[in-house]
Amino acid sequence: MSGDRPLAVALLAPALVALGAVTAYPVARVLALSLERRVPVFGIADFVGLANYRFLAGDPAFWNAVRVTLAFTVVSVALEVVLGVLVALALRRQQRFRAASLALLLLPWCLPAVVTARTWEWLYHPTAGLVSRLASPLSGPANWLGDPSTALGALVVADVWRTMPFLALLAFARLGTIPASVYEAAAVDGAGRVATFRAITLPLLAPVLLVATLFRTLDALRAFDLMFVLTGGGPAGTTETLTILAYRNLFQTLQLGVGAAVAVVLFAVVVGVAWAYLRAIDAGEAAR
Amino acid sequence: MVGASDPLPGLLREFERRHGGVRVTSEALPWTADVQHQFYVINLEGRSAGFDVLMLDVIWVAEFARAGWLLDLSTRWLPADRREHAPATVEAAALDGRVWAVPWVMNVGLLYYRADLLARHGLAPPATYDALADQALRVLGAARDPALAGFVWQGRQYEGLVVNVLESFWAAGTDLLGTDGRVFPDPGRARAALASRRAMLESGASPPLVTAADEELSRREFGAGRAVFLRNWPYALPLFEAAGSPVRGKVGIAPLPGGGALGGAHLGIHAGTPHPDLAWRLVEFLSRPEAQRAIAAATGLHPTRPALLDPALREIFAGARPRPVTPWYQTLSATLQPELSAAIVGVKTPERALADAAVRLRYFLDPAR
Repeated sequence: MSGDRPLAVALLAPALVALGAVTAYPVARVLALSLERRVPVFGIADFVGLANYRFLAGDPAFWNAVRVTLAFTVVSVALEVVLGVLVALALRRQQRFRAASLALLLLPWCLPAVVTARTWEWLYHPTAGLVSRLASPLSGPANWLGDPSTALGALVVADVWRTMPFLALLAFARLGTIPASVYEAAAVDGAGRVATFRAITLPLLAPVLLVATLFRTLDALRAFDLMFVLTGGGPAGTTETLTILAYRNLFQTLQLGVGAAVAVVLFAVVVGVAWAYLRAIDAGEAAR
Repeated sequence: MVGASDPLPGLLREFERRHGGVRVTSEALPWTADVQHQFYVINLEGRSAGFDVLMLDVIWVAEFARAGWLLDLSTRWLPADRREHAPATVEAAALDGRVWAVPWVMNVGLLYYRADLLARHGLAPPATYDALADQALRVLGAARDPALAGFVWQGRQYEGLVVNVLESFWAAGTDLLGTDGRVFPDPGRARAALASRRAMLESGASPPLVTAADEELSRREFGAGRAVFLRNWPYALPLFEAAGSPVRGKVGIAPLPGGGALGGAHLGIHAGTPHPDLAWRLVEFLSRPEAQRAIAAATGLHPTRPALLDPALREIFAGARPRPVTPWYQTLSATLQPELSAAIVGVKTPERALADAAVRLRYFLDPAR
């Protein structure tokens, strides 16, 4: 076995070098950058230690971005999972035109993100938008994207519309692999619909849902396009996520040090969440 | 360039005819100003710039000059020639007593009003923002039309909001930066100006959609006949007067109280160009009166020389004021945007919003001095 070691290392080397070049090196650079006051346009590059992090810790805009990022992620992913499972169950029971339903379901998932965002921009248009028109008998003329109490919710709806199909499709595929005999046995035992769902469907779906939720959570934490196109982080910063804050500092104000510090915080959150999920998935495998 | 027929290729071919052996290639820039800025920063900072002459948004000239990316044009663009251009455009091109770019096309914020509705009430275009709000409420009160709004402007969280609030600052007799470079030199007036913008939304003089509005959204509302007043750029005028427009023949224009913000573009020369003389000749050629006239005819972008302007626009353009001419303008604006938005939508008081912005700006700007 040990004789294979040099060969293994040689075979792994290209992948390791590539990963190092495109992942480890940039991460290390961003970490180093976050310790500097750096405005390259004006030739400013001073080592300032943790000053950027101290500044962020005392900056309400940063904590606002943390809250917005977490709220957006938790609410949109939770809605996507619940709706995705419901849609998958409905599809399983559907007898006719199932292929057409699947194709329609996949459509939002296939659209480029910016196209989706532009479409929703028109749907939410305060006077001409379909959403505003439909809701206006209840709420009066609505200003979805310009009102601080509705802007984030409006983005969550657009995000759920776009990504729920991903979860629905995975759940649908998993449901297809559960043998009918399991359900027949449950029916013989006199289990009702709710009991069947809780005792059979959900436990069998759980591993797939956990992996899908991991993907979606990481995506939602890094969400950028919807906010960038629809609100620019406004109004009053109510849709300003960590990604938007990092963009503002990195590309608009060119305060690379501060922007890098925001990116590092986001990176730490993403790593932490991924680690927690992977632990949960491992625990699930071990229990089986 | 935008417009029905792009005049630039024709101008470049003419330049090539006059300078045997020279070939000029043009590169289209991304659509939005933010992405253009990013494109320039990446190319110029990376020293990979493949261009000699650049079109610059007026607010970037000082930043690019400080960064060392622009050729000093002080000895080429002489004071006598500068005097042909609107003073605001020359001001925007200057930093540290030198000039870094030549004005190319000019834009200025202005007030559109429904001349028919104002005439019905015997009103003249307002000279202050308070009068503007009063007139809007008066016309709305008499019209009893739920679909009609008063004063529409740009209140979305972006550069346009900074421009609108800045125009209110000017009308209140203050500015974003003092002559000594201090942020909010007169906080009392700045607060009052910001508060009056919020008051427009609270009183109904401005509709709620303002907080989501950019230029196009607000232009469409007014263009559909759903607003009495509009703050926008000159590009909207031909659209309002086009065949089939619901407001055709009903639109009047006036200067904004306190003056409108300067927009538009300058031409600069990349400091690292191997052909500075030829690049200068191209800048001269593209910005001379004939070229500005051709660009205006084809695109609706206006000349920077008052003498070439449509007389109806001359007074409005004469009132143009540049946004603060500082290398830090992008930092200033991007930092202010969420705070001004918070004040406009009523999440923060103007005091709180301006104080929070000042704290952040101190961290960003002060060590640079």
